[in-house]
Amino acid sequence: MVISIAFLFCALMGRLFYIQVIDGRSLQAKAAQQWYRDLPLKAARGIVYDSTGKILAENQDVYSIYVRPNAVKDASQVARVLADKLDLSYEKLYTRITTERVSEITIKKAVDKATGEAIRKLGLAGVYFTVDSKRSYPEGNLLAQVMGFTNIDNVGQNGIEGYYNKYLTGVDGFAYTATDIKGVELENNVTKYVPSIPGCNLTLTINADIQSFAEAAVMDAMIEWQSKSASMIVMDCTSGAIVASAITPSFDLNNIPRDDINMLNALTKNTLIVDVYEPGSTFKTFTGAIAVEHGIGENSSYYCPGYHIVDGQRIKCWKYIGHGSQNLGDGFKNSCNVVFMNLALSLGTERLYDGLEAFGFGQKTNVDFYGESRGIIMNEANVKTVDLARIGFGQAIAVTPLQMVTAFSAVVNGGILYEPYFVESIDSYDGKNVYTHKKTEVRRVISEETSAKIRKYLGLVVSEGSGKKAQVEGFPVGGKTGTAQKYGNGGIAQGKYVSSFIGAAPIDDPKYVVLMIVDEPGGYVYYGSMTATPYAGSVFGKIANYLGISVKEAEATIAMPELTDVSLYDAIAILNQKGLYYELVGEGTKVVSTVPVAGTMLPEGDAVLLRLS
Amino acid sequence: MIATTVMTNEANISRGLFVLKREGKFDWILFCVTVCLVAFGVVMVYSASSYSAEINYGNKYFFMFKQIFGAVLGIAAIAILSITDYHLLNKFRYIILAVSIILLVLVFIPGIGIESYGAKRWINLPFFSMQASEVSKFGFIIFAASYMAKHHDKMTKFKGILPVLLVGGVICLLIILEPNMSITLCMIMLMFVMLYIGGARIKHFIIMAVPVIALVPILIIIEPYRLNRLMAFLDPWQSPLGEGYQLIQSFYSLGSGGLFGLGLFNSRQKYLFLPFSESDFIFSIIGEELGLFGCIIVVAAFFLLIFRAVLIAQKAPDRFGCFLASGIAAIIAIQVLVNIAVVTGSIPPTGLPLPFISAGSTSLTVFCGSIGILESISLSSHKSVECLTQLKLPREKKHKDKNEKKSQGLKTNKT
Repeated sequence: MVISIAFLFCALMGRLFYIQVIDGRSLQAKAAQQWYRDLPLKAARGIVYDSTGKILAENQDVYSIYVRPNAVKDASQVARVLADKLDLSYEKLYTRITTERVSEITIKKAVDKATGEAIRKLGLAGVYFTVDSKRSYPEGNLLAQVMGFTNIDNVGQNGIEGYYNKYLTGVDGFAYTATDIKGVELENNVTKYVPSIPGCNLTLTINADIQSFAEAAVMDAMIEWQSKSASMIVMDCTSGAIVASAITPSFDLNNIPRDDINMLNALTKNTLIVDVYEPGSTFKTFTGAIAVEHGIGENSSYYCPGYHIVDGQRIKCWKYIGHGSQNLGDGFKNSCNVVFMNLALSLGTERLYDGLEAFGFGQKTNVDFYGESRGIIMNEANVKTVDLARIGFGQAIAVTPLQMVTAFSAVVNGGILYEPYFVESIDSYDGKNVYTHKKTEVRRVISEETSAKIRKYLGLVVSEGSGKKAQVEGFPVGGKTGTAQKYGNGGIAQGKYVSSFIGAAPIDDPKYVVLMIVDEPGGYVYYGSMTATPYAGSVFGKIANYLGISVKEAEATIAMPELTDVSLYDAIAILNQKGLYYELVGEGTKVVSTVPVAGTMLPEGDAVLLRLS
Repeated sequence: MIATTVMTNEANISRGLFVLKREGKFDWILFCVTVCLVAFGVVMVYSASSYSAEINYGNKYFFMFKQIFGAVLGIAAIAILSITDYHLLNKFRYIILAVSIILLVLVFIPGIGIESYGAKRWINLPFFSMQASEVSKFGFIIFAASYMAKHHDKMTKFKGILPVLLVGGVICLLIILEPNMSITLCMIMLMFVMLYIGGARIKHFIIMAVPVIALVPILIIIEPYRLNRLMAFLDPWQSPLGEGYQLIQSFYSLGSGGLFGLGLFNSRQKYLFLPFSESDFIFSIIGEELGLFGCIIVVAAFFLLIFRAVLIAQKAPDRFGCFLASGIAAIIAIQVLVNIAVVTGSIPPTGLPLPFISAGSTSLTVFCGSIGILESISLSSHKSVECLTQLKLPREKKHKDKNEKKSQGLKTNKT
C-alpha cells in the first residue's frame, strides 16, 4: 500500500513538473492575457507638410469613451449622462450597459476634447477614457483628392494617407492595468505604460501657394463654363515633382461625406491619375516631337484643303474651309489636323508607337499613388492607316492627365522623362531622415535639339496662335490647346467636349508645366483656347508673381468688331487684319454671333469665337 | 486468518474498553505533520480567499476565520480522541453508523439541507453547518473495521463481505442522491481498499467491479453534464469558457508558479479567475504561490502522514485498530491523490477537498478527529507490539505469536 501510494504520488509529481516547469512559461503567458486590461495609447499619425513647411495634415486630440459594465455603479446615471452628452439613445445605452456580457463596451470614438473632458470631470464609475488623435486638415478642401483620408480608426484609406500609411502610422503604446476577472483594478496595481511612437512626417512636392492658385483656377473655370468638372496639374518639369494638383468639385477633408458611398467615391477619386481623358490637339505636341526627332516635317510644306483623304476616307480638319499651305510652325500655331496626319503617316505606325511608348503612354508613370491608370492606346498590331492618321492629331487615344504632364515635361525639359512623384522626403518624428526622393530619370525620349525646336513652336502657339490667352508678359509661356469630343458607349458623345491647355513657362528654359482641363463645358463655347487656356494663363501669371517676376497685364487695345451677319470669309479677313485669333462653331458661311460681343476691348492676338449658321 | 485469534481479540477489546492503558507512545511526528498541514491550510485559505471573501462577504478574513474555527475544533478532536480508547468506537459502531446515515438523510429535508451548486450536501444548524458526507466516510470506516475484525474469517467468502458492501452501498446511494459523485467514487475506492485489507478475494472484487463499471454510464445518462466534464478533461482548450474553464484556470495557476512560485499571497489567479480556489482547487494556488517546490513539500508532508498512519496500523494491537488505522490512511491517501489528480488534469474533474488544507470546517474537524483516533491506536498498541518484538512478555507468548502472524499477514496485504 505504501509503495503504491508512493508510486502514485511520484506520477502526480511528474505531471506537476510537466505543467509547472515545461509548460509553465506558455501557460503563464496565456494567463497574463486575462490578468491585465490593456488600453492602447494611440500613436500620433505623422504630419504632412507641403514643400514650404506648411502643415497640410495633422492630428487633434479626441477621446474614446468605454464602459466596463462590471465597474458601473449606477447604470441609469451613466447611460443618462452619456446619452445626453454624446447624443446617443438612452434606452440603447442602458440596455447595453446592463445586459451585454462583455467586459468592455466601446461607447463612442472620436469625441471632441471639450465633450470628453466634460464627461471625465463627472467621474462616473465604470466609464473609461483613452485619448486618441483624429486627423485634421487645416487647409480643408486643399489637395483633397491627393491627400486622401483616414477611417475612424486612423488608418489611411486612399491618396497619400493610404499610400504612405505604413510610414504615417506610428507604433501604439499600451497601458497595462492589473485587474480581477471582472475588470476591477487591483488595489496594488501599478499601471505599466509602454509609450507610443509617433508616425513619420511627410514633406510633399506640393507647394500650397501654387496649389491654391490651381484650386482657384479650377473653381472659377467650372463656374464660368458650367462644366462638369475642371482640373489642373502643375509639374516641375525638371524633376517630375507634382507642384499642384487640383480637381473640382471637391470636398472638405475635415467633413468627409462618408454617409453617401457613391458621392464619396465620385468626389474622392483623383481623376488626374486614375481616369483618362481625350487629349485632342494637345497630343499634336508628341506627334510633332517624334517627327522632328526623326527629321520629318521641318522642311516640308503641307496643304490643308480642310480635310485629308486616308485610305479613301475623308478626315476633316477642324477648320473645314481649310488652312491652305502650312509648314510645321503654322501647323502648331493653327493646330492644323492635316499637318499632323501627314507627320503620323510619314512616321509610320512603328516609329510613332515607339515614340509614344518612350513618352510613357500606355504605361503607368509609377507615381506614388494607388490606382493609376495606363491610359487607352490601340494595340499596335490593330492600327490601320486611318487610325494612325487620327492618333497623329490626338484622336483615338486616351491618356491620364498625369501621363500628359509627365510626357509634356519631357518634351520641353530637353528630352528627359522623369518619374512623377508627390513625396519629397520622409522624416521620423524625432527628425531623422528616413527617405528623400531622388530625381528618377526614366529615359531620354528626344534630343536637346528637338526639345528646343518644339519649345519654339509651342511658344508660337501662345504668342501668335490658339494659346494666346495663356500668355504672361515677362514670363513667356509655350503650350498647346486641345478640344476633343468625348467618347462614351463606344462612340463619339455628341456635344460633349474635353477642353484643355498644356503649357510650360518660361518657355526658353521651362520650370513649370501646367495642364488645365475643363470637362464638358456647357454651352457652345467649348474650345480649349477659350475655356482652359485663360485659366492656365492666370496660374502662370500667379506663379510668376510668386517667383517675384513682375508681369504686365496685356493691354486691351483692340475693339471686337461687329461681325454679326458678316460672311465667314469677310469676318476672317477682318480678324486677321486686327491680329485676333478665331475659333469657329457650327458649319455655314455666315456669322450669327460672336464671343465676346462687338466693342469689347481685347489684347492683341486674343482668341475670339464665331458662331456660324 | 487463524480462527483462534478471535477470542484474544475479544479479550483485548473488553480489557481496554473504558480505561486507556498508556502503554504505547504518542506519535509526535504524525501530530506535528498534522498541525503543520492545518496551520499551512489556514494561511493558504486566507491567501486564496481573501479577495473573493472581501467581495462576496465584505470581510477578507471570512473563510480564514471559519478555517481557524475548524482548526481549533480539529485540534480539540485530536486531543480528546487520542486520550479516548478507540475501542469505544467499536462499541458504538452501530450508533455512529446510524448517525452517519441519519445525517445523510437530513440533507434532503427542506429547511435543514442547503442546496448549493445544484446539490444538497449541507446540513444547516443554527450554530453550525456541516457536510454530512464528510462524517459518513468515517462512519463507514469504523463500521467496516469493526465488522471485518469480528468476522475476519468470513472475509474470504463473498457472503462474508456482503454486510460491508451493503452498508457501503447504502451510504454511496445516499451520497449519490445529493448528488455528489466525487465523494461517492471516493467511498467506492475506500470500500474496495478496506475489503482488500480485510482479506477479501480478488475474484470478489471482479464481481463487485461489474456493477461499479455499469454505474458509470448510468450516472452519465442521469446527469449528462458529467460526460461534458469528462471530455473537458481530455481537451480543456476546446471549451475554454465552458466545461474546460476550471481546468484551464488551474493550469494557469500551476504554470504561473513554475519552479519556485510567485511568492506567498502573490497569486493572480485568486482574483476570481480560479473558482473554488480556497476549497477544491487550493492546491493550484499552492502551486502558483510556492511553485513546484512548495507542491513537493506539501505532498511529502502528506506522504509522511500516510506513512505514519500505515506504521500505526502495522503496530496496532488488534484487528480493529489495524483496520481502522488502515482505513484512515486509505481515505487520506485517496482524497489527496484524487484532489491533486483533478487539479493537474490527470483525471476528470470532480469536487473533492484536499484534506487538512482546503477550506471547510467539517472536513478539517473530521480529518483531525481521524488523526486523534490514530494517536489513540498508537498510544494503546505501541507497548505491546514493542514487547512482542523484544520478547519481554513471556506471559503473552502464545498470544504474541498469533499477533505476529496476524500483523505479518496484514503487512503483505497492505503493501
